Amino acid sequence: MNVKFLNPFVSSAHDILSLEMHETVQRGDLRLDNGSYQTDDVTVIISLVGAVAGTVFYSMSKEVAVGLASVLMGEKFDSLDRLAQSGVAELGNVITGQASMKLAEAGFESNISTPSLIIGKGAAISTLEFPRLIVPLNTSIGSMTIHLALHEGLQPNLKTPQLEIPKVDIS
Amino acid sequence: MDAKLLNPFIQAAVEVLKAEVDANVSRGEISMQKSSLTSDDITVLINLIGDVYGVVMYGMHKNTCLNLVSKIMGQDFIELNSLAQSGMAELGNVISGRATIRFSETGYKSNISTPTVLTGNGVEISTLDFPRIVVPLDTQFGILTVHLALRTKTPGETYNPEEFIPLINVPPSQNVF
Repeated sequence: MNVKFLNPFVSSAHDILSLEMHETVQRGDLRLDNGSYQTDDVTVIISLVGAVAGTVFYSMSKEVAVGLASVLMGEKFDSLDRLAQSGVAELGNVITGQASMKLAEAGFESNISTPSLIIGKGAAISTLEFPRLIVPLNTSIGSMTIHLALHEGLQPNLKTPQLEIPKVDIS
Repeated sequence: MDAKLLNPFIQAAVEVLKAEVDANVSRGEISMQKSSLTSDDITVLINLIGDVYGVVMYGMHKNTCLNLVSKIMGQDFIELNSLAQSGMAELGNVISGRATIRFSETGYKSNISTPTVLTGNGVEISTLDFPRIVVPLDTQFGILTVHLALRTKTPGETYNPEEFIPLINVPPSQNVF
């Protein structure tokens, strides 16, 4: 895992959360984990493909998910219904989208996937041989944790047109 | 979800299972589900990005996974250690990769992400507003269930960054889109 991929995510998450919550979000201690991740109540999973490849998780407790959804959508949610789930997934999408734009400016162009949401505590998610960088972000309603399992991808020029290689007849 | 996206995956899965573990695959009943998926013991999750986009999940029972991995790697696995998980992830990777090659033959280009392995049953995986097509594949090693939540864009359509921001407004100074 390359640490230079970290800052775009932390700064995007920090900017977006601070903006939405109308407060300054604090970053917690950074750590690196080689094992698999035990899920919290709610986890948003988004993959990146391109010059940066891998997976990003945003994990949080149910209370934080409901609280964030309420703040983002401007209406009070009592439970994590479909609309609230969609709001939390959208938050992950926006943070990842903005981070991937910052990465593209730094020369690492990549595309992001649609978000998937995992609801339920205690399952284990493995990113296989990729260690995870973990950064908690603390807000007034609780903390959201970013897990980054990223590495440099094999397709540095994703959006350049693919040239047809002419077939050579060897006979 | 478009049913034309289904066949490449089933064909790829049948071919790969036949080639890797010499499995005789029979397809179970196909169903369409809108609710979230309740995970099986092992779920391999792979995202597709490009003209065909969304998520593919391969769910199976622990024993099915151990049987498949033991056969692929040629050694007996009795527990689901990281090597076994890696083997299963690779199988998902190969099937998805093969399916995307078939898509690209019909003009839909897409990339697949690195696989993520979810272990532990009973958690819910939501694909939000993407309905899932669920296909159980029955082999002598157990049942491998393929869940597809995919959509298509017009081939070659340029990437539209506005898709990101329907809900949250980023002020102009920070608007990097």
